[in-house]
Amino acid sequence: MKAKKKKITLINILQIITVAAILIYMQVAVKSGAISKIFLAAPTDIVSEGVKIISNGTLLPHFLISVEEILVGYGIAAFVGISLGIIWTLFPKTEEFGNVFCAAIMAIPKVAILPLLILWFGIGFTSKVVLIFLFSVFTILYNTVTGAKQCKDSYLKVASVFEASRFQTVFTVVIPSALPSIFNGLRLAAATAFTGVVFSEMQSAKAGVGYLLSEAQGLLNTSRVFFLIILITVMSVIFVKLISLIEYSVCHKWRRI
Amino acid sequence: MPGIHIKNISKTYIDGAGNPVDAIKEINLDIKDGEFVSIVGPSGCGKSTLLEIVAGLQKQTAGEVYIDDKKVTGPSRDIGVVFQDAALFPWKTIKKNILYGMEISKAPKEEQEEKLKSYLELMNLTGFADKYPSQLSGGMRQRAGIARTLIMNPKVTLMDEPFSAVDHLTRCTLQEELVRIHEKEKKTVLFVTHDINEAVFLSDRVILLSPRPSVIQNEYVIKTKHPRSRSDDYLVHVAAKIVADISRGAENVESEYMI
Repeated sequence: MKAKKKKITLINILQIITVAAILIYMQVAVKSGAISKIFLAAPTDIVSEGVKIISNGTLLPHFLISVEEILVGYGIAAFVGISLGIIWTLFPKTEEFGNVFCAAIMAIPKVAILPLLILWFGIGFTSKVVLIFLFSVFTILYNTVTGAKQCKDSYLKVASVFEASRFQTVFTVVIPSALPSIFNGLRLAAATAFTGVVFSEMQSAKAGVGYLLSEAQGLLNTSRVFFLIILITVMSVIFVKLISLIEYSVCHKWRRI
Repeated sequence: MPGIHIKNISKTYIDGAGNPVDAIKEINLDIKDGEFVSIVGPSGCGKSTLLEIVAGLQKQTAGEVYIDDKKVTGPSRDIGVVFQDAALFPWKTIKKNILYGMEISKAPKEEQEEKLKSYLELMNLTGFADKYPSQLSGGMRQRAGIARTLIMNPKVTLMDEPFSAVDHLTRCTLQEELVRIHEKEKKTVLFVTHDINEAVFLSDRVILLSPRPSVIQNEYVIKTKHPRSRSDDYLVHVAAKIVADISRGAENVESEYMI
């Protein structure tokens, strides 16, 4: 992927100034004592706290656990969501059967299921993976199905005049035309997967970035809270970008992204 | 008897209010083998509906269509269709688009490559095989769409306003190319257009459909040999006559409404 050179405009400069002003305000307000350290953290303290937990090895095991939970939970959700979407498209009767169940499960606020998941799977790895799966799978499934249904009529007519079978039509026409929608689902789900992992780790866990976060809050270590929030945000953004990168490598030849 | 035989075709829709609307009423039309026939008519007269019925893409309410004595019951590879906006798949290269039908029918790879080469040449697309549709002009996309249909060697070719989305100059070029290909391959063509000059320039016979319910209002046999001149006196005269007949048809409709 070639990086395109961007011109720095006046708007960009103003944006940088705004960010800098906020950071400077935080620094001055905390260091002067105008705002208590419990409520806000000075940027320099956030950085040094970050360096500290990275260098003393506190962060890494928790970080790896969270990443692993995400990759497994999201990976399964992506596989199941897309596969089920394709099956529903191939055999409309299966959609008729399954849709009501999926809609019902989707309607439950996922966080409300967490107590049950903990009862069933414990407070470790498995309950997190299941929650991430539930957070992501429906978004991916319904985006796949919607994308498939929005396939242009003229494309279907082309498949039809060449006497393409149902399988051929779905795999050569319907799925490729649904790719933008499928990737949209994957991107949305990537962001919600992070909500899932952080939330479940904060509620009850033995490890993970969310666990560290709630621990830091308990210790009134606000600098660490800030650092972890930034870390989680950056991870989430990188993950979403990664999905976009995959989409780019699949579709950039024929579609402007 | 080869060609396209349309027998007593009627199509009735149920409109939004639940009332039946006659779109096409008892159309009979015989198109000879190798003949180029255009259908013109005011917009909404059911030209495209008739074409889709012949293609097997829509079901008629009554009547039958035969291709080479074989009754049309659904889409078939014997019936090639060229669509209005080319309807190329944007995610496939031009090569893959043109070969789509052959891949669906699992034609041998060598045959595909061989035919691809000759149709790229025929449609002046050599050098564009690996481009994507979005990288091509509208005229080139439509040429690829025509190649995708012709490469399957259908018995008859149906074209649904194929040149309506391209600019005037490109359209003229495409018309001339179509004439050249038709002269060479002598395939039966049913061509739907709203452009009367286009119909007159291309066709052996022009069929004028009346407004709803569509019936054949008139037909015009054009014996002028190809290559034709666009300013040919006879062609200009026929085109003017068709325009006059269309407005007469419109008057009839108006008077019907007056009553």
